[in-house]
Amino acid sequence: MLSVLILIPFVCGLVVFLPMERRLRVRILCAVSLVHAMIVASFWKVNPPSEINGFLMLDAIGLIVLSIVSFLFLSVSVYMVGYFHHEQRRTRTFVACLLLLLSTMTLVSVSRHMGLLWVAIEATTLFSAPLISFHRNPESLEATWKYLLVCSVGIALALLGTFFLAIAAHDVHTLLLPVLLSGAKMLSVNWLKLSVIFLLVGYGCKMGLAPMHSWKPEAYGQAPGMIAALMSGALTQCSFLALIRVSQICAKTGLSEFYASILIVTGALSLVAPAIFILGEGNIKRAFAYSSVEHMGILVLGLGLGPVGIFGAFFHMINNAVAKVAAFLAAGSLAQKYGSSRATEVKGVIHLYPVTGVLLIAGFLAGTGMFPFATFHSELMILNAAVLSGHYLLALVYLGGILVMFIGVLRIVLEMALGKPTQPVLPAKENFLMNAAIAVAMIISLGLGLWMPDILTKVLNDAVALVRI
Amino acid sequence: MTTWIDTSCILVVFLALSILATYRITGMIHIFVVQSFVLSFVPFFLHADALTGRDVMLVLATLVLKAIVAPYILFWAIRHMSMRSEVKPFIGFGTSIICGTFLIAGAFWVASSLKLPGKLISDLVIPCSLSTVLLGFMIIVTRTKAITQVLGYLVMENGIFLFALSLFDAMPTLIEMGILLDIFVAVFIMAIVVNHINEEFEHAPASLRRTKMGETL
Repeated sequence: MLSVLILIPFVCGLVVFLPMERRLRVRILCAVSLVHAMIVASFWKVNPPSEINGFLMLDAIGLIVLSIVSFLFLSVSVYMVGYFHHEQRRTRTFVACLLLLLSTMTLVSVSRHMGLLWVAIEATTLFSAPLISFHRNPESLEATWKYLLVCSVGIALALLGTFFLAIAAHDVHTLLLPVLLSGAKMLSVNWLKLSVIFLLVGYGCKMGLAPMHSWKPEAYGQAPGMIAALMSGALTQCSFLALIRVSQICAKTGLSEFYASILIVTGALSLVAPAIFILGEGNIKRAFAYSSVEHMGILVLGLGLGPVGIFGAFFHMINNAVAKVAAFLAAGSLAQKYGSSRATEVKGVIHLYPVTGVLLIAGFLAGTGMFPFATFHSELMILNAAVLSGHYLLALVYLGGILVMFIGVLRIVLEMALGKPTQPVLPAKENFLMNAAIAVAMIISLGLGLWMPDILTKVLNDAVALVRI
Repeated sequence: MTTWIDTSCILVVFLALSILATYRITGMIHIFVVQSFVLSFVPFFLHADALTGRDVMLVLATLVLKAIVAPYILFWAIRHMSMRSEVKPFIGFGTSIICGTFLIAGAFWVASSLKLPGKLISDLVIPCSLSTVLLGFMIIVTRTKAITQVLGYLVMENGIFLFALSLFDAMPTLIEMGILLDIFVAVFIMAIVVNHINEEFEHAPASLRRTKMGETL
């Protein structure tokens, strides 16, 4: 079943290269996402068997990432049906890359071999790069180039880290995760330490952790809203999954302390750095990009802060993805209507597009972790973990970072939502499908904030148990 | 066979250093072809006593992808480019070579403290691969054109590849092929973006060309 799940989008990705009507391609994407989501939903009931000699297997952590990926693709594809109603650009490469991206992201979430994981993550970089330059203007090409180069070099370092891991696992003779974990005593600790540093820098680059985040504001600022949503919600989680895998290995080899200390430093940096840059920002998509850097910091911080933090991090993965979808889709919807996402050129949205305006504000509140949205709870859990483990200074930095980010983004969102309306490029008419996709994400974020389903608690606890010693 | 392996390792580093010191882009690509060519035969030397089908496959795949296809794509990407040589690198060519030699010395120093478990085929594999990775890095950060940055990335990948050969047995063939394929696709997509960048700026009116962007071309 797992290989089928990878193959369906892959084959369809090749099929859409054939000549066909442009909107048909978007419909194919929609259908594939729906089928993908239905299969993934069935995995919550029955766990699929492992495949290809144990290379592909779905555990609780993989299930969380896979569900995020699947949900994000479904909302983005529904949104795209509305988006391409007004967009006259060709869809061939765009939809093909999206489908191939879905296929490779699925591979990331189910792969149990550290080498295969690298291959899949590198492939996600390659298929996401052409999506950024959708508008094909100099700025978007520059952003694509920056993303491609920074991430490729970062991922190359992760490859080196994977090879170091292979040396550390010389006596185990394989990089299959279950074998690595059961033979953890045989790993060479010095090589493993070197490998952990390279893997963290490499995958951290792809995840957009400070100080390797320079590509993020450019790429998210230039990419269409739905691509920014996919990248900030799903693509970054794929790299985070790699960091969780490293965490699993470290827990078994007694390197948890060592790994946790690096994670905490990187996390704290990722909270401080975007807070400095956000204050001078005037572009809503770039502002959300800085917010995304901050949330990646929160995730790695949670991973480094023991069981409570790890639970918070897993929960925050889901919440952040859902909130980012709403925020970026709303911003993307305005960018299409006004031809810009700068706060100086987009004003008084709430008067012309009341629904989109309200959704933008709601997306902003969810994205910055306000009550009653679910992000609030997961951020609180991680703060709790920091205080419980005695990192008081860290807790202060954490609160400060979140507060500055809130003010920084609030300034831009209020300027855009309220005020004297500026004239949009497109006629002032709401698009139902686009708003529906955003609203569903918003409802989920609100729902998870008020009520936690038992099955989700169980899966999150299973996932935490996999990372703990 | 150790002599052959040592010679290849030293050649790979030497060629990386030559790329760092080369002025013309076509010249750089030619040197890269030679480097990939040398590199692709290392598996032969490593397993000269008992060659398997896997060795032959790896040699062929490397040769085709790194020494033929990748350079071909790069030549395709620069076919319309008016400027064929590196202009204004951040660090001059003389200084680059001096920095490069320091990097090589550093790599050898670091590698002296890294001990591989199991039997070692040649003492030079690890220091040489680290040197090549660092030189590739240096090409990326000091050169200003997109196409030379791609070359830097490829040199870096060659260094990592040399390292991978020293742990030939840990990786299944499938994953090795996956890695090679990924690198090939990376070059392909980078070349397309370089090509788009060129087109965009050849056609854009001069007033729209920003100096910041012009420098990265």
